[in-house]
Amino acid sequence: MIQVFTFYLFAVLLIASGAFTIFSRNPVHSVLWLILAFFNAAGLMVLVGAEFIAMLLVIVYVGAVAVLFLFVVMMLDIDFAELRAGFMKNVPLGILLAIVFVMELIFGIGAYQAGKIELADTPVNPAREGATNIEAVGELLYTKYIFLFETAGIILLVAMVGAIVLTNRKRAGVRPQNVSEQVARRPEDATRNMQPEVGKGVEL
Amino acid sequence: MSVGNSLYLVAPEIILSASGLLLLLIGAWGGFKSARLVSILAVTALFASSAVALEFLLNPAFAEGGDAFFGQYRLDKFGSLTKLLIYISAIVSIIIAPRFFDNVAGGRSAVMRPEYPVLIVFAAIGMGMMVSAVDLMTLYIGLELNSLAAYVLASFLRNDERSAEAGLKYFVLGGLASGILLFGMSLLYGFTGTTNFNAINQAFESGLSTGALFGLIFVLAGMAFKISAVPFHMWTPDVYEGAPTPVTTFFATAPKVAALALTMRLAIEAFGSQIAAWQQIIIFIALASIVVGAAGAIGQTNIKRLLAYSSINNVGFILIGLAAANQAGASAMLVYLMIYVAMTLGSFVAVLDLRDADGNQVEEISSLAGLSKSRPGLAAAIAIFMFSLAGIPPLFGFWGKFLVFEAAVQADLILLAALGIAASVIGAFYYLKVIKVMYFDESADVVVKSDSKSHAVIIALCALFVSPLGYLLIPVLGNIADQAAAALFWAL
Amino acid sequence: MAIKLIVFLPLLAAIIAGLGNRALGNIPAKVITTGALFVSCALSWPIFLSFLGGDTQAFVVPVLDWVRSGDLNFNWALSVDTLTAVMLVVVTTVSALVHLYSWGYMDEDPDQPRFFAYLSLFTFAMLMLVTADNLVQMFFGWEGVGLASYLLIGFWFKKPSANAAAIKAFVVNRVGDLGFMLGIFGTFLVFGTVSIPEILAAAPAMAGSTIGFLGMRFDTMTILCLLLFIGAMGKSAQLGLHTWLPDAMEGPTPVSALIHAATMVTAGVFMVCRLSPMFETSETALAVVTFVGAATALFAATVGLVQTDIKRVIAYSTCSQLGYMFFATGVGAYGAAMFHLFTHAFFKALLFLGAGSVIHAMHHEQDMRYYGGLKKEIPLTFWAMLAGTLAITGVGIIHIGAIPALGFAGFFSKDAIIEAAYASGTEMGSIAFFVGVTAALLTSFYSWRLMFLTFWGKPRWIESEHIQHSVHKTPETAEDSTGGYHPHESPLTMLIPLGVLAMGAIFAGFVFHHAFIDAEQGAAFWNGSIAFDEHLMHAIHEVPYWVKLSSTFAMLIGLGTAFYMYMRGEGRPQALANQFRGLYQFFFNKWYFDELYDLIFVKPAFWFGRLFWKRGDQQTIDRFGPDGAATLVSYGSKVAGRLQTGYLYSYALVMLLGLVAAITWVMVR
Repeated sequence: MIQVFTFYLFAVLLIASGAFTIFSRNPVHSVLWLILAFFNAAGLMVLVGAEFIAMLLVIVYVGAVAVLFLFVVMMLDIDFAELRAGFMKNVPLGILLAIVFVMELIFGIGAYQAGKIELADTPVNPAREGATNIEAVGELLYTKYIFLFETAGIILLVAMVGAIVLTNRKRAGVRPQNVSEQVARRPEDATRNMQPEVGKGVEL
Repeated sequence: MSVGNSLYLVAPEIILSASGLLLLLIGAWGGFKSARLVSILAVTALFASSAVALEFLLNPAFAEGGDAFFGQYRLDKFGSLTKLLIYISAIVSIIIAPRFFDNVAGGRSAVMRPEYPVLIVFAAIGMGMMVSAVDLMTLYIGLELNSLAAYVLASFLRNDERSAEAGLKYFVLGGLASGILLFGMSLLYGFTGTTNFNAINQAFESGLSTGALFGLIFVLAGMAFKISAVPFHMWTPDVYEGAPTPVTTFFATAPKVAALALTMRLAIEAFGSQIAAWQQIIIFIALASIVVGAAGAIGQTNIKRLLAYSSINNVGFILIGLAAANQAGASAMLVYLMIYVAMTLGSFVAVLDLRDADGNQVEEISSLAGLSKSRPGLAAAIAIFMFSLAGIPPLFGFWGKFLVFEAAVQADLILLAALGIAASVIGAFYYLKVIKVMYFDESADVVVKSDSKSHAVIIALCALFVSPLGYLLIPVLGNIADQAAAALFWAL
Repeated sequence: MAIKLIVFLPLLAAIIAGLGNRALGNIPAKVITTGALFVSCALSWPIFLSFLGGDTQAFVVPVLDWVRSGDLNFNWALSVDTLTAVMLVVVTTVSALVHLYSWGYMDEDPDQPRFFAYLSLFTFAMLMLVTADNLVQMFFGWEGVGLASYLLIGFWFKKPSANAAAIKAFVVNRVGDLGFMLGIFGTFLVFGTVSIPEILAAAPAMAGSTIGFLGMRFDTMTILCLLLFIGAMGKSAQLGLHTWLPDAMEGPTPVSALIHAATMVTAGVFMVCRLSPMFETSETALAVVTFVGAATALFAATVGLVQTDIKRVIAYSTCSQLGYMFFATGVGAYGAAMFHLFTHAFFKALLFLGAGSVIHAMHHEQDMRYYGGLKKEIPLTFWAMLAGTLAITGVGIIHIGAIPALGFAGFFSKDAIIEAAYASGTEMGSIAFFVGVTAALLTSFYSWRLMFLTFWGKPRWIESEHIQHSVHKTPETAEDSTGGYHPHESPLTMLIPLGVLAMGAIFAGFVFHHAFIDAEQGAAFWNGSIAFDEHLMHAIHEVPYWVKLSSTFAMLIGLGTAFYMYMRGEGRPQALANQFRGLYQFFFNKWYFDELYDLIFVKPAFWFGRLFWKRGDQQTIDRFGPDGAATLVSYGSKVAGRLQTGYLYSYALVMLLGLVAAITWVMVR
């Protein structure tokens, strides 16, 4: 019973927060809604017993990606004065979200304790009896799905190459720090021993 | 099914992956100076993969093909043939690139970068996976690998506004299409409990639930975006125009082949037991593509944009073969694809060969005026490609159209064939307009001589292939296409 | 073998000269074509003479299989009998002489190879026509001569009048050809074959049978014969379909002599004679043929009285003489008709070539009013023309007692026709007799008028614009009426044909009349190739003397009137014309046939054409067809261009709309 209730709660909130992510006019709000969406998705994962994926969602997406988004949003050309002015206006929303988070945590843990939901009649890839979540995923990834897994790695590589290709460029007028050059610098190169004659060496 | 055997069957992808990683290292250490070396090595790797694909295609020992990695990937003649086409397109796209990038914007800013061949190689891996995919996951991974590389390639000239815009548009719309596809796949998985094509097909045999039907439509819509069929075509003209010309050459050929082949395999192997569910939609998409491709091209002044509409138009004709949903249709599509690749490569390389006195690319159709006098050979080649694209006999382009219409008639889609033939008349208009500008208009004297031997060789080969001499190849091509098409239908 | 050479040598020559054209050069083209024709001619005469001697039977030389299709089977074969042999000599002889004549006449023309190729092509087609053993082959030849005639009338295609005349000849002939075609179809329908011998063998059995059409019953043979006769009328310029012949005089004069006098226009007569057993089965058809022939003879003669163009006078004369031939066939005197065809070929070709010689001498002036006094200037042409005139007017003496009949060619043939008309005893025959005598009077008048105006009297040359151009003077500045112009006799290549034809005009009647029209000899000579009526031919000799002399009297009256009008005093013709102004205008305007046709056929046809063109084609088919489609496409192109905004959200919207549409479609289906 609690599982069904929790499922619908998470599902409705997931969709609603997804919609708010799109419709929100303030980019910061959008990111906040997105984080809520990730949380709800993680909750759904917990419901089906995939707690590892749930953790991944929270740690990777919320902890890294969403926060990165926030940084990016902050770097956009946004009128922060206006945002700051509306800070007090945002407080109720923040508190509301906080309450929702807490509620969800409780429900999620409660539902998890009650056992996972059974989905398809026969699982396509039944996990080894007694294997933990991480073990089961790892076993599949590195055996059956090795090909796709490795290719997915290449996709990430391409994404990285693309990011570098499109953004990395030599700027004129900047002076980046060259550590190896600094380290390799010897006193002989940098200093000069001079023996000025008396009364010379100083030009006035 | 040992992992070793599986690895053997994916040899083309392995070769390319290893080479791609190695080339990336060379490029990272060598910098811009290594671009030439990386290009040569990339072409070599693609040739090696082509050789393997050819071996798989022609060696009777592989006639049966084989499944790799627990039914996620299948080696068969269909995949090998389309892979060959993809690799050839990739090779040409790499060969023609240095001249373009070294001269772009008068040689001021950019030069050929080693990442270009590397990205093409990675895209080729993705496309190879697409044409061999027999599992929704393989499909998606391959598609995304190709798409990601393509987004980067589209905006490769990042200082060029049009190129950056093209990349961004392609990326955003591609993301949307990817989402549609993924949603459809999740629906299919949810309602059939499997991601394997054959298993989906078997599940469909007992009937099609509404959810699965939604999934099917969403997946086809995602595919329609990749093959730029109407109404998922809107990105095509902008991206083709904005992307650097070698990249456009690549876009117009290899991903088209891959996506069309994937659509065929998906429609036949996964949805083959529910033809009625998608046939009418494919018919509509085919006709809409033909008409919109033809009508949209008429007002264009930029030749790359015109060729973009031309590719939409041609995709429509190829989809007629799919709408037929029989082996003759699949075979006709493959023959059409081969001819289409030759025509498209030829026309884009010819466009690449158009430069004014300052070394800038010439892309305005009006600038082609009098090309028949200043560069008679090139003008003749473009005329051949245009006539062939318009499907005017005795050029080879006619044969492809003839085959798809024949297949449609065999499948009792006579109205479709008749409408297609009627609409092809509209298309003839703008192809002939280009020829008219080249041969009959007051000379504009914009285009200067080119000294590129590689361009000349590629154009000559393509022109020779689509010339009436191409008909000599019909027995060979037809036989291979028939065998490849038969490979699609073995499960049915 | 000889017959194949006769027929195909002209074709070969035409192909060589036609394809070689200017590359070949004038002289080789002329030598090849003329040489081929003389060889053909030389081979034809032995065949004719062997038939004349009675030691050859009719034979058929197959060339190749032509059509094998269901019930329709026929070969391409060359059939030779007496009738064909007569036509062979007429065609090849006149053609050879005209070829030779053209050397001189066309000497200054830049397109001589083309001209000679056309001439040879015509000869080949004519030979195909006369050697046909089935109706389809005859139709092939029929159309072939029509084509050659069209090409030759329009030979000087830079002259608008020549082009118009060529088109007119072609179109009017189409009307006749339609009748001929329907006749052929009908014949095949009725007899189940197109082979002429088989049809003729089966024809008598068909007499009296009827055929249903539109709910009415018609006599089968009458219908077929009338349809075929319509074809003959077109080709032979009989009243109603005659309007093209005078205009055809726009062609070079040798062409007029060969095609529009001696050979092609007689094809209709030949066809009726060839199919004479068929025509014999229908009295109605024969009556129609007689009537049309007689009417044409009279009509053309009246128009010929007042024409001033020398070639047009002869053209109407030809038309009139063809009328004689037709009413001869109508009364059953096929031998007489063929005899007149034979002699007419010689004297009419002679008259045309003579006229050509006059025109040549008079610097291309064709109006007789500007001739006069040419007798001394071009004496050889004069004598030749005189022989032709004596022949056409039928000068001669009937045989009295032991003295055989003596006379020029026309005397024997025309008198035979007139006597046969009387002797036939039918009502239509009597009418034809009176018409024939009247026409003989008119013939005599206009022929002598031509002679008097041309060769006698004072020169009136300076009035002619052509002469004015030549001597660079006007009537006001010229010292006398000759304007100092000196007509010159034609070259030898033109005079030789005149001489040969003059021989024919003088002797052809006397030499051959026994064979052609004598009751016993004729039957042996024709040997069943035409429906030769021995009784009628006997009856000719039994007619009263006043009948025999009537045509001679008519001729003398015509001569006398002409002499009185044109040799004795000035202005008499003018005065007469003024007195009978209405009649004169009526004749001068050719009975207003052209105007009538223009009103009845041409104007409505144009009106209909315009209606279909403007309303039907432009405003309906084009508007909703090609033009409409083009407008739709360009409109669609604009719409497609407007949708392509360049904005991401609109692209995404279109994608999603497409997706929604697809989902909706599969849901509601």
